[in-house]
Order: sequence, then structure tokens, then C-alpha cells
Amino acid sequence: MKSSRVIAVFAACVIIAITLISSSRRLFAQGSQATQPSSNQVYNPYPPGILPSNLNAELMRVETEVDFVEARAMARWKALKLPTISNNPPVLEDTGTEAIETLGELMNFDRTISPKKNSACASCHMPYVAFSGPIPSVNLTMVAYPGTEHFRAAKRTAQRYTYAPFFPVLQYNATQSAFFGGNFWDSRATGYQIRNPDANQAQGPPVDTLEMGNPDLACIAYKLSKAPYRSLFDAVWGADALNINFPPDTAEICATPGGAAVFGSNIFPVQLSPADRTKAENVYDHWGQSLDAYEQSVQVSAFTSKFDAYLAGNYTFTPDEAAGYKLFDGKGNCNSCHLDGRSTAPTPPPPEGNAPNGVDTGATALVTPLFTCFGSANLGLPLNPRIALYYETKPDPYGFTPNPAGFGYRDLGLGSFLRSTNGNVAPGTWASPNASWRQYAPINDGRMQTLTARNVAMTPYACTAGTEAPGPYFQKEFFHNGYIKSLKQLVHFYNTRDVYKYDVTSGHCPAGTTEKVDCWPEPEVPATKDMSVGDLMLTDQEESQLVAFLETLTDGYTQRYPNRDAFAGECMRGGSAATQGNDYLIPTPPLPPCESAVCDVSPLPTSPAP
Amino acid sequence: MKKLHLQFTITIIAGLLLHSISVVGQLAPSTRKAASVRISHGPEIERVDPKYAIVRWISNNPGGDPEHFGVVHYGTDPKNLSETAKSPNRLNPGHPDTIFRVQLLKLQPRTTYYYMVDSEEANGNSDGVKSPERSFTTR
Repeated sequence: MKSSRVIAVFAACVIIAITLISSSRRLFAQGSQATQPSSNQVYNPYPPGILPSNLNAELMRVETEVDFVEARAMARWKALKLPTISNNPPVLEDTGTEAIETLGELMNFDRTISPKKNSACASCHMPYVAFSGPIPSVNLTMVAYPGTEHFRAAKRTAQRYTYAPFFPVLQYNATQSAFFGGNFWDSRATGYQIRNPDANQAQGPPVDTLEMGNPDLACIAYKLSKAPYRSLFDAVWGADALNINFPPDTAEICATPGGAAVFGSNIFPVQLSPADRTKAENVYDHWGQSLDAYEQSVQVSAFTSKFDAYLAGNYTFTPDEAAGYKLFDGKGNCNSCHLDGRSTAPTPPPPEGNAPNGVDTGATALVTPLFTCFGSANLGLPLNPRIALYYETKPDPYGFTPNPAGFGYRDLGLGSFLRSTNGNVAPGTWASPNASWRQYAPINDGRMQTLTARNVAMTPYACTAGTEAPGPYFQKEFFHNGYIKSLKQLVHFYNTRDVYKYDVTSGHCPAGTTEKVDCWPEPEVPATKDMSVGDLMLTDQEESQLVAFLETLTDGYTQRYPNRDAFAGECMRGGSAATQGNDYLIPTPPLPPCESAVCDVSPLPTSPAP
Repeated sequence: MKKLHLQFTITIIAGLLLHSISVVGQLAPSTRKAASVRISHGPEIERVDPKYAIVRWISNNPGGDPEHFGVVHYGTDPKNLSETAKSPNRLNPGHPDTIFRVQLLKLQPRTTYYYMVDSEEANGNSDGVKSPERSFTTR
């Protein structure tokens, strides 16, 4: 009897051992020698000072805020009367709009979607900064936000969600010989298939190895199938949508960050039947569509600024705001790209008309102007040596090396995306779905999307001086590489970029000059620099008036902006907007040549990046 | 009956206009090309360094596509302006004049260059600017 018990226990142990070995083989089927790192190992290839000293505390603060807003969304969902389906084609009657918007909001603030359950979409995009980067110290230092695997990070600033859903599918306009539309700084979320660039954009970060980092889009479907708000998903997208037969090792796979050596070159590590793979992809489309619904809703893109009130006749600009608006349309030339919806038939100057300097006296042509032309430009920003990606040259505990080329990487923006075909995909971008666009890559090198100017100044209500020192202010970062730290600097850059141009890299301005005040380092991509700006001859007062006008574009004036009160951190004080963040400048190291994966891909850049 | 037709026509036209505004209102429109593009100021050197220069001029707004390029033909031989530099300069359809600025890269120090200017649409169609020939010397 005893011996039979021993045999039974032994047999059970053998079965358990075989089961464990076979399940781990499924996960590690790609033949890597890497082992699963322990949970407290962090990736820190950075020299001292690149990561902000309060990073962990700030990440925790944002996690708390994310959960706070998620709880609000949960309450909104619980109070929602679920829609009923009627009609053919089907309509989610009465509350369909609110249902899908609420679903998108719940997804946006759900950090369990990431492998380590620590990174929601909102972790890098909080409402109190118009859904851009929520950590002042990150905005001052590493530019890009840590992803689920601490501390992998990417290379660009977190773009504001607001009004992103209004961008059209990326198109090459043959009449104007230019690209319009898409989402992301390099327009790579074209929307070519889902027909919605914003929804396409929302499909990026969840599987980006440097962001939320899921190793397979099927992980999103898996996690949604376990989400507390699954019934809302079912109500919006159909009860069968999430009925997928996931293999037993799915949880383990989906808890491992993408890029891990255990996955090898397998881009579909979750083994699904063809039918279930199709369902998972459809769910991922619904993920993007739901998030787009939220971002397009008045919860995010609200049209409630002072400027909107002005268009409605319900707000009178202050003298500085009014002067700034004239400059925006006139001497500043801002509205050649950031279209403000005024008529384009100004009263001509004398002798033909009576408006001095061709001031636009026409009527409003559009009551919801988006302050963008949907195009792209190379504004000539210097390489920012603080960007985290430059330092990620060593493998992390999972055996993943984000950027082996280090400072050999150059950000060619739209140009790199356009030439990323035929198997040559530049680091950090996607393959282009249109090989006929490839010929236009050189002229688009260095071009980044023209964002809406709306909400560029949005900060938490508590930071009453907005973005500008001496405050109390919230430290933001501007443009694709976060080089600019205040709106004053932003306008000053447009105004004087070429007046104070020096042949130096950032951190090496000559003695007697001050970087960003009377010294602008050379551009990262010089050849295609847009020359519409750079010497606008604005006075210091005019620069400040333009800042005053930009601040009128912040939503939340006619109605309170949702969740702008969620900020639980500290506003900053002291210093000057002109030199804001200059204490954090570091010298750019000697730059190696541009790496071949970026600059040696046909059609070659017109003039190689330095 | 005629009045009804007129109302109907106005409604259709208004509808079409509103539709076009809502759909394409964010793209800057191409405008009618100017009959001729004349330089009212310059061309002149905005700044010159040992290896770098910016040429600047003002013309009437050439019209056409907002995506425009300033063009400088230049060289060390006044009879052979063999080099061409182009810089993006976005037109503002609402402005009567346009300031064009073009950067010249990789110049030789202490060298005299001769240049003429033009502007063109993004598709390469020239605006047909009549430019005087000028010169500058790098530092």
C-alpha cells in the first residue's frame, strides 16, 4: 500500500514535471539561451543623469492617476444604459455613441493591457496635458517615456491625442505634390486598411517593444477577454467577438515583453487557429476603433477653448491675445501650416484695398478649425542628446537591444517611413504600404507631422501659469524630440533659428552665448530644413503675444475639460521661460556616421545627415 | 416655379460648398497663379558663414500650390551657375507677398559665388521669376 502510494506520488511528479517542461518549451520554442529575468531586474544602460532621479516615484504617481480616471470611467459605464440593437444594418440604439466612447476610455486607462500590468495608453498620455506626457522630469530629461519593461524607452515625445482623429487617411496629393494625413510624428499610421489613421495609431503602442510591449496583438484580445468591462465590449462589438480558443500558455507569453530573445523571429507567438487568428485581428481593429471613438469624443476633442468662444461671439480677446492672433495670421506666418479657418480672401493692402499689410478681414470660413494643414515639415531641430534611445545599446534582461547603433541613429521622420519597403524597415518605423511613395522619401527626410496648435498650452488646472516659468507651471516638452521646453522658446525658435545659427551640436554653444536664447545648434537633418520660418523679425513683445494667443486654444473654457483635475503632482516654480530646462542640457557626444539601416536605404537622402 | 428652381439651385450650391469646407477645409487651397512673379526686394544675402549662406528675397505671392520651393542657381563662375539649392518655403494663400529664403550648404570658405533666384511649385513648375545676378563672398 505504501509502495503504491509512493509510485502514485512519483508518477504525479513526473506528469507535473513533463507538463511544466512542455509548457515552457512552447514559450521558449525559439531556441534562445536567455532565461526569464526576475521581476526586480531593471534595464538601465544609461549614464548617470539620463534617467530622472524621481522616475520611480513619478511612475507610481501616474499609475495612481490612471487608476483614478479608470475608476471614473467604470462608474460611467455602470451608470450607462446599454444600447439595444435594432435596424439592418444594425444600430446600437440610443446609447451606442456613449457606449463605444466609454469602452474606448476604459481601454485607454487600463494598465493590465501591458505585459507587466504597469503601462496603460494613458501612462504616457494624460488628460491634464491634452493627453501628452504627464511627468515633468521625464519631459526635462529622457524625452520618451518608459514602457512596460523598465526602463526601455523610445525616441519621440508623446503626441497629444486631441483632434488626432480628425486627420485623414495618408494620401499623396499630386496637385500639391505633398503628403497629407496619417497619424504619428512620421505619419506611419496611414489608416490605409482600417480607413482611420487614429485607430491605426492606437494599434501601435500596445505591441511596440519600447512601449506597452505586448509580443503579439493576440495578447490584446486575450486581455480584453479577461477585462472587467468585457460585457461592454460584447455589447458594442458582438457577443462572439472575444470567443477565441487561446492556448494554455497565452498568459505566460503575454506577460513577456516583445523583443524578448525567447521569441526569436516569431511575430505570432500565441498559437491560434487561422480562424481564431482572424478573430484576434478583428478584435485589434475594434480596439483601435474604440480608442478612436473616445479620442474623437467631447471627452478629448472638445472644441471648448477661448478661441471657440471667440468664434461664437462669446469671448473678447485681451489686447495681447488679439495682437497675437494678428501675428499668427500675419508676420508670424503661423497659419500657413496651422490653418485657422479664416477665409483666404483677405482685403488687399492699398491701393487695391484698405487693410494695412493685407490683414485678413474676411469672414470665418470654418467654425471648427484644427490649426493644422495635415502636412509635415522639417523645422530644423537639433539632435537632442538626452533622448533615451541613444543609450540603449546593450541587451536588456530579456536579451533585447533597442538601438545597437546608439548615436548613429538619425530620425528622418516621414522620409524613413516612405522608404521602409522591400524588407528595409528603418528602426522605429513601420513598413510602408505603398511602394509608389518611396520615390518621395528624400524630399521628406526630417519632416514631422504638423500637429494641431490646439491644446499645445494645456496644463493641469492647478498649474495656473500654464507651461511657462516662473510659474506655477507644468514642465512640458515640445516638437518630436522634446528639445524645446516652453512656448516662449518655441516661438523664439521659429523667430530666430537662422539668426542665431551656430555650427555646433546641442550643449556646445560658444562662450558668451546661451543655448535657445542667442544660439541655436545645427539641425539634425539640415538639407530639407523648411525656410518659411527661422527669421521672422518678431520683437520680444510680439513673441509673448503669440504665446498669449496660443493659450487661447486650450480646451476647457466654455466647459470644464474632463479629468484635467487628475494631476496629483507638484507644479514647478522659478526661472525664466526663455531658459526653461537649460539646466538639463548635456553636451552631444561626437556623432558617428548615420547608421546604414537609416541612411543607406534607397532612394538615398539628398544630402546625407551629418 | 422659377423661384422654386432658384431656391433648389441655391440649396444645392450651398450644400456643396459646406460639404467641401467640412471635408477639405483643413488643406490650404491652391490659389490662382500670378500672371507674373516680380521680385520687390532683393535677392540679398541674409547671412554668410565660411561654408553656409542664406539668400533672401520678397516677391508677390506666386500662387499655385502652397508647397513651394525657393530656388538659387549659383556657382563660382558668373557664366556657369552650375549648382542649384532648393529650400521648402510654404506659401500663405492669404498674404499678398511671399518671403523666400534658401540655404546654401557646403560652400567653400573665402570664395566668391554668383547667384540668381527663382521659385517653383513642389511639382517643379517654375514661377518664372526674373532675377538679377548677384554675388557674395564667404567668410
